[in-house]
Amino acid sequence: MAATLTRSARRRLWLRAGLLAAACVLAWRWHHDLAIALRPTSVTTGLALLGLCVALGLFNARKKLPFLPLLRAAIWTQVHVYAGWFAVFLFLLHTGFRAPTGAFETLLYTVFALVALSGVFGLWLSRTLPSRLTMHGENVIYERIPALRAKLQREAEALVLRSVEETRSSTIADFYTARLKGYFDRPRDSLHHLLRSGSPLKSVLSEVRLLERYTNERERAILTELTACLRAKENLDFQRAGQGLLKYWLFVHIPITASLLLLGALHGLLVLYYIGGPR
Amino acid sequence: MAEPIATVSRPQRWDVPFDERMDAAAVDRILGIAPFSRIDAAEFPRSTPLRDILLNDTSLRSFRKGEVIVREGDYGNSAFFIISGAVKVTLGKDAIPAVLLGRRETRQKGWFETVAQLWRNPEYPEVRDTARYAAARAPKARGETTATFGRQASAAAQNAVFLSDVPAVLKGGTATLGAGLFFGEIAALGRSPRTATIFADEPSELLEIRWQGLRELRLRAPEIKRFIDANYRKYSLENHLRETEYFKDLPPEELRLVADQTRFETYGAFDWHTDYKKHRDTDPVERLRGEPVIAEEGQYANGLILIRAGFARLSQKYNHGERTVSYLARGQMFGFAELAHNWRAKESVPFRNTLRALGYVDVLVIPSHVVERHILPRIPPADLPTVLPATTEADSPLTQTPGRLPTDFVEFLVDNRFINGRAAMLIDLDRCTRCDDCVRACAAGHEHNPRFVRHGQQLGSHLVATACMHCLDPVCMIGCPTGAISRDAAGGQVVINDTTCIGCATCANSCPYHNIQMVELRNAHGDLLLDRENRPVTKAAKCDLCLEQPAGPACVRACPHDALARLNIRDTDTLAAWLQR
Repeated sequence: MAATLTRSARRRLWLRAGLLAAACVLAWRWHHDLAIALRPTSVTTGLALLGLCVALGLFNARKKLPFLPLLRAAIWTQVHVYAGWFAVFLFLLHTGFRAPTGAFETLLYTVFALVALSGVFGLWLSRTLPSRLTMHGENVIYERIPALRAKLQREAEALVLRSVEETRSSTIADFYTARLKGYFDRPRDSLHHLLRSGSPLKSVLSEVRLLERYTNERERAILTELTACLRAKENLDFQRAGQGLLKYWLFVHIPITASLLLLGALHGLLVLYYIGGPR
Repeated sequence: MAEPIATVSRPQRWDVPFDERMDAAAVDRILGIAPFSRIDAAEFPRSTPLRDILLNDTSLRSFRKGEVIVREGDYGNSAFFIISGAVKVTLGKDAIPAVLLGRRETRQKGWFETVAQLWRNPEYPEVRDTARYAAARAPKARGETTATFGRQASAAAQNAVFLSDVPAVLKGGTATLGAGLFFGEIAALGRSPRTATIFADEPSELLEIRWQGLRELRLRAPEIKRFIDANYRKYSLENHLRETEYFKDLPPEELRLVADQTRFETYGAFDWHTDYKKHRDTDPVERLRGEPVIAEEGQYANGLILIRAGFARLSQKYNHGERTVSYLARGQMFGFAELAHNWRAKESVPFRNTLRALGYVDVLVIPSHVVERHILPRIPPADLPTVLPATTEADSPLTQTPGRLPTDFVEFLVDNRFINGRAAMLIDLDRCTRCDDCVRACAAGHEHNPRFVRHGQQLGSHLVATACMHCLDPVCMIGCPTGAISRDAAGGQVVINDTTCIGCATCANSCPYHNIQMVELRNAHGDLLLDRENRPVTKAAKCDLCLEQPAGPACVRACPHDALARLNIRDTDTLAAWLQR
């Protein structure tokens, strides 16, 4: 990916990475100083981490207020990404780079890890999938995909009917009923698309080619049009799978972030309650 | 069996006359009035005789006292000749408050109002306060100043605007024009906004001439040409020249000499938007051939060409084809580098590019000897442009030069006429995650209905979305019967006044980019608003660049990946930087 970045974009990336590294060094230094002064480092870093998580969660609130002059969402995204990486470092400082013990701690640890991992996954998706969607075929609006699929299906069925009327042959109609109807009926092969596998389309196209030996010239012309419909359907399926993943990963990231904030707050209250030792 | 071939008669220029009520008697009457009585009909070709021009390109219109004939800021496609009565021309900018001319009053929301949208925004899309429309229509008490809407017999003048108490609403003075004078011809021919509001001072009869007829009359009738050209030289030309970089320091007397020797030329079709809609899917080579040539590559550089209105394509031969190098619009010039080089080096370098009309172009041609005598000697040699070397490999359409627009992108912008855009919505699809935050943000600020579609013409990974571009040449503004669509006085954005829009869809049909939608209105309960004939009430809706929101365009601000920008397509430096970031 870095190879496709322009020089100025690379410079910006290095600058931000440098700032993140500097922030991590400062945090580590701060943690070190607190430890030397025999201060409760866990409480301090924990409060800082909770505050940072709340601040990270505000990004979603900002999205609900598009008309307020609260900086551009693009700036919020950048801050969210780098502050997110910083939160991971702060989390490791807070936990002392050790595995959790106890049920609640393990739960909290797991939820934090899920939030961080889903965030990184979302970041990776948002940096890689858009260009794949662009390169693959016609850009379509996600909500229109069902209507476009239905339109394609109508076109394919019209071609099949035409083949029967014009050629008095059932070759294409039989193939459509047996193989293609299900292909056009609903979205297909989402996992293949996400894993960059073109095999489902190749498979169906090879079956179409095999059919050519049973067809005359007129039918072959119709098969060519049908192939175009198949390719268009494949693009719709690809767009649906890709755009769907880009939309729905947030449905994982946001709810577990909310859980993290609740659990984190509860954890904080418990710590503050028991900070002086057992009562 | 082969399908029968459908035959239709070839569409002709006058299939749809300007006013169907015009007849031979009306034409006879016009031909009895000076200066039309002095026009020599023999000067007109048989294909466009004078009588047919008057029959098909004119309309006799009556105006009542106080009725607005043209509004300041409107884009019109016709001029007027006063047959009887008198009209008043407002003097000074904004002589009549914009709101009285049907314009939208833009007021930026305060902080509280902005935040209150969170709970004040209605639940349903396109909900309107019907009381507002009723209030706009209600008759006002005597002395109250208002624009009231009445109906006229003439179909063209339906929903005319009247100024009911002129002295009270006028901020400046007026000048009176009497019978026998023309007005509105500069805006009609030059595709520029009307510079003044003109209203009937007494019951008046006017001859309205649409631009096509006006152009023929100017071409064939010396009396009309003299009048129009004299008016242009008197009121506009010197100002236009002074706006051009190399002319701005000329002493007034020399500028007048230059203006006196300047020729006016017009190319292409004024209503380019209708032709463009028809031909945009044709073969690009064919389309290029159809564009009138203003100056050709290799031709002797005999003058400096200034674009007065419209757009032009700058192209260069490339093997067996022609590649688009750039595009020119109002205020830009062609041929200056060649003229400067020839004057300085005593050579005769011809034009290095071809200049073609994209739709309608209005140009000023200043002969080379005038440029050499009055303009070039006044420019410091260091400021004189140099002639570019012949096409190099770096300029090939197959390569991309940093800081310059890629050739394929220039072709794309020109072919789709996006060069008209002052705030076109460009989306980088390699960054766009299709999250639709931009769409939701737009809807949040606009009656729960986004004012654009995140779809449109695409080249590679760049998409020009279906969103109002706030065009340089806003053809949507031509023909609005109530003046509801206009430019914002401060920023020049094209905006619609929802109160005065009558839902006629003239603007939506005129927009060549389909960037204006007709929306069905609802009341607060979500019920569709119906008129007395039980038809849904519609209004035109489009992007207004979030003029009322303190933060500016919500779409740009909402994009989390910096994939969306509103760009002026003429600002090629910014555009190139955005494409190559």
